[in-house]
Amino acid sequence: MTESSTTTVAPAPTEVQKGWGGQSVPRKEDKRLLQGDGVFVDDVKRHGMGYLHFVRSPYGHAHITRVDVSAAEAVEGVYGTLTGEEVAALTDPFFQMSTAPGANIKDYSLAVGKVRYVGEPVVAVVAETRELARDASELVEVDYEPLPALVDARRAQDADAPVLHDDAGGNLMWHGLYSWGDLDAAFAEADRVVEIPELHFHRFNSTPLECDGALVEFNRGIGQWTIHTNNQFPGFAAIMMGPAMRVGLDKLRFVMQDIGGGFGNKITSHPQLVVCCLLSRKLNRPIQWTEWRTDFHLSMSHGNERWFQDTEVAVKDDGTLLGFRTKALDDAGAWLRYEPLGGVIWAQVTPGMYRWRHIEVDFTQVATNKAPVSPNRGYSRMQHLWFTERVIDIVARELGLDPVEVRKRNYVRADEMPYETPNGCIYDSGDYAAMLDLALELIGWDSIEEKRAEASGRGKLLGVGIGSTLDSGTNNFAQSRMINPELQFSGNNEVATVKLDIFGEIVVTLGTTPQGQGHETTAAQVVADILNCSVDDVHVRAGHDSYWNSHAGFSGTYASQFAVTGLGAVKGATEALAGEIKQLAGAVFGGVPAEQLELADGGVRIKDDPDAFLPFMACGAIVNANNAGLPEDLDVTLNCRYVYRPPFEVPDIERKFGNLTLTYAAQLHVAVVEIDPETGWYELVDYAAVDDCGKRINPQIVEGQVMGATAQAIGAAMHEIYEYDEDGNLLTPNFYDYHVPHALDMPPLATGAIESPSPFTPLGTKGMGEGGGAGIHAICAAIQDATGRAVTDSHNPYQSVWQMLQEAQA
Amino acid sequence: MLLREVEYAKPGSVAEALELLAANDGARALAGGQTLVNVMKARAASPDQLVDLNGLDELRGIELAGDGTLSIGAMTTYTQIAASAEAKARPILGAVCAQIADVQVRNRGTIGGNVCSNDPTNHLPPLMVATGARMTIVGAGGEREVPAEEFFLGVYMTAVGPGELLTRITIPAGRHDGFAAVTLGIDGTCIVNAAASVNGAVRVALGCVDAVPVLVTAESPEAVADAVRAAGLNPPSDVHASSAYRAHLAGVLAERAARQAAGAS
Amino acid sequence: MDVSVTVNGTTYERDVEPRKLLIHFLRDDLDLTGSHVGCDTGNCGACSVIVDGVLVKSCMLLAVQADGASIETVEGLAEGDELTPLQQAFTEHHALQCGYCTPGMLMSATALLRENPSPSEDEIRKALQGNICRCTGYWNIVEAVKAVGK
Repeated sequence: MTESSTTTVAPAPTEVQKGWGGQSVPRKEDKRLLQGDGVFVDDVKRHGMGYLHFVRSPYGHAHITRVDVSAAEAVEGVYGTLTGEEVAALTDPFFQMSTAPGANIKDYSLAVGKVRYVGEPVVAVVAETRELARDASELVEVDYEPLPALVDARRAQDADAPVLHDDAGGNLMWHGLYSWGDLDAAFAEADRVVEIPELHFHRFNSTPLECDGALVEFNRGIGQWTIHTNNQFPGFAAIMMGPAMRVGLDKLRFVMQDIGGGFGNKITSHPQLVVCCLLSRKLNRPIQWTEWRTDFHLSMSHGNERWFQDTEVAVKDDGTLLGFRTKALDDAGAWLRYEPLGGVIWAQVTPGMYRWRHIEVDFTQVATNKAPVSPNRGYSRMQHLWFTERVIDIVARELGLDPVEVRKRNYVRADEMPYETPNGCIYDSGDYAAMLDLALELIGWDSIEEKRAEASGRGKLLGVGIGSTLDSGTNNFAQSRMINPELQFSGNNEVATVKLDIFGEIVVTLGTTPQGQGHETTAAQVVADILNCSVDDVHVRAGHDSYWNSHAGFSGTYASQFAVTGLGAVKGATEALAGEIKQLAGAVFGGVPAEQLELADGGVRIKDDPDAFLPFMACGAIVNANNAGLPEDLDVTLNCRYVYRPPFEVPDIERKFGNLTLTYAAQLHVAVVEIDPETGWYELVDYAAVDDCGKRINPQIVEGQVMGATAQAIGAAMHEIYEYDEDGNLLTPNFYDYHVPHALDMPPLATGAIESPSPFTPLGTKGMGEGGGAGIHAICAAIQDATGRAVTDSHNPYQSVWQMLQEAQA
Repeated sequence: MLLREVEYAKPGSVAEALELLAANDGARALAGGQTLVNVMKARAASPDQLVDLNGLDELRGIELAGDGTLSIGAMTTYTQIAASAEAKARPILGAVCAQIADVQVRNRGTIGGNVCSNDPTNHLPPLMVATGARMTIVGAGGEREVPAEEFFLGVYMTAVGPGELLTRITIPAGRHDGFAAVTLGIDGTCIVNAAASVNGAVRVALGCVDAVPVLVTAESPEAVADAVRAAGLNPPSDVHASSAYRAHLAGVLAERAARQAAGAS
Repeated sequence: MDVSVTVNGTTYERDVEPRKLLIHFLRDDLDLTGSHVGCDTGNCGACSVIVDGVLVKSCMLLAVQADGASIETVEGLAEGDELTPLQQAFTEHHALQCGYCTPGMLMSATALLRENPSPSEDEIRKALQGNICRCTGYWNIVEAVKAVGK
């Protein structure tokens, strides 16, 4: 381990850095978090609140034949219960995005008639204390008739496979065939066809340290729920909950301040939130729900597990890739909570970073008796990009070519940007070859063979691998119509409000739900640059609250978009405010046009006459409390709300062609592993990560995301897996068996950054944060390099590496 | 995460602790709590009463006798062992204790708790067997000493019977020791471990391969791999390792521990 | 059972069930919500506090075991409104993102620095091994502690 474990290489400023954008401003969020004064959902308390505990299924697949809560309810201090039968009477099944047969499944917030995965909530018990709720839950009697469990998606469509949802008539949840270019011509032109029978991307997720939770209050007088919760996509939760609960969306107020990590895994808690809502109404008291670590592992937001079968790659002898066809088989788990959107979201990055034009993906999604899948950092693109990176390395190996050369030969080139992919997505900007060069320099590529020899002298196998990946950000939700043409979603949006308060205080509200990405800080930087003030003068409200009316249908923090959508909204609102300030000042100064005014020093003044100065305090006071005598046609409020809307069209649904995401950040990672050949044990001894997310508003925050994503990739590649036995029992239901990286597990890290501004966004920024998949790709490649064996699984614990070495010797 | 109801007592003497343990079938001794409390959170076991040993200073401390024998109180923590000047008389003890989990666990976890819980993946049971430790057990019938080889009876089961307490572990002098493990991440749970001691012949105790540590002996470190093969191990399979992989690791780690022991001085 | 604990200099007397974990006692009974719960197997360290000068995970201690003890939690680190050099270093080095692991990290770092005012990088990592972070990858946390150690 070197003395200093991190080095950073960043671009020299291409322009004089003035203003706040581009500065690593210390975070506004930090002070409260450092003092233990953050407000996370479990910190919120209400007098008389009842603590909720879920009775969960012990079976992977079973009929429910009897539920009896009477013994539990008889316990003093137990406030009440909720069963599946009640839920089925009080609510409608959740909206399904899929087409038939997937559309036919009936998803309620508690199991109705059947359980379909171990850990599925069956009954909810509410009591005076946490412990009592837990105790009482053991008195709930549930009788089950176990059924065979289906845990291998490859068997899901066998004739004798257990069927999870009779309403769907089988386990097929969604299917789509994607085909672009001319596959026949490509394969005819190929010098050879590389066949890869099976590649497997494993099931894991990002295990945010804080699990889900809620405190729900019901206001009986107005029929409205206040839902304190750490759900990171309240727009989606509301759309799912409202119709199910048969209430208007304004009856669901979402409130949150600090969230302890999300990574996509806090998007689909709406079933549990519905239970809390129903109970708060039934019992007429606030309901508190804490999801325990084991509950989270058993039931929440596993990442998509995906096989790529019968892959054929058309290549030229010089390593030029012409195209590929593959069958993607996706394991959705027991319910479609955000799926089957995963069936199209990968198409944002169809060709990966490469220039091949002839591509076919036959995509099937099935249900299995495992936890429901929903977005996990890198959602669906990560799986597909891992696939393209494996193809590159396996092709390179088969042709005896250098993986660096094959990448450079096939990367989309900087001079081709903006680049239209075979399915009509537009890669906005980027220079992948330059990123690769920088990463290789950071890792000391020139001395790798020396290091390999030195490691060999110590009896170790050294391997180096490249992982390149894209982080597509700002979704065009019209892509959902490729899943189901009837869906009425398209485009995207985010909202912000910026106002001058009565004493001139600058107050910003966001529509987002940050979980550590520093939105308060970067938003303040953008505002301060436009209003020409200090970031310290900009007060950004912490968290999210529906009552701020600062949200729209797609509000939330997910899918690598804040720097585009959130900051786009902030920019729009602030520019509107700046315009209104000048209008007001112009009127107050007796009719001075806006061009002659400038914002500076906490106010507005006439450029040529600095003594004519109106501080923000005066502006705020005039509009709010002292407005007699203003011109009748002066239409200013100094309270500006802006809805940012990215420029999208509805794609051609039939051809599955069109732009699906606005920005494409890129990541280029290189990993060096040392393997102990006698045991298969290995460690990362060096690592480089290069990131390009366009203009960086706060470089330190960006780098933090790169680091965190890298650490998660290392964990996923080496240790983290949600593995099930044949009965559907999860073998890794807690942090004891599901090993995430700790401080001693991290390699030395060199980071580099390149800025290729996006031509499509208000600030030249690109969303980022989900690029960690590059680490998985790089580690797979490094293991392949060290062992000489093609790596075909994303998960490579010590035993797998040892196995590969055995095979290499055989 | 939430324990069942339990009674709690904190005796001020070993005699009082033994009385409490004998009086109630459902009473369990609480040492460091780094295992027992988690077991109770999961409700995998729910004692009626916890008898907290943390007030028993007489169970703490390390004494080094003139002949190099170490006497370690059962309630001595991993941190205390790793920091102890006396324990340096047998350096492998501190070296192994320092790699258990993390600082917080080491500050509370005890050598007595580690051996009495006898989780097959624990570090110390194999180490006790390899070093020829002797366990002092106290009960209503008095005090007796059980050699480590006879102390570990099954998964979570030791020679400490109902109403009894492990009070002390006595470890003979020696410096030719080794320990090798493959763990789930650095300092993580052991997948396979091996503790070795050389005193003329080689003793290697393997952990994680059976309900209790498996002892093999060999003439020299070079002969250890064969001895492990001859032991006919049939280790458990779980999500971290197959039986075959564990068996393979056992052979490799046993030899490494033995070489380390032979080379140590 | 009656317990008397001193937390960050203030003494509290409460009646608690023996089964109540210290972390829940701090959070639910004393309203000291700075220490967090991140797991249920004693692995994550978000609940780390200092009890009678010793760093422990408060999810593996019963509240009744802390009777008579002096406990330090994150809320007691700063002097009024001013951040300590350690907290200051955390923000300078961007050693926190979501902030959920941060109280535990601060307590572990505090315990380390008391014992070892100039720790090496390896010593820092070893000291933080019991604290899981999912956001930062630990690199910046190590840098922050190193910076205070100089």
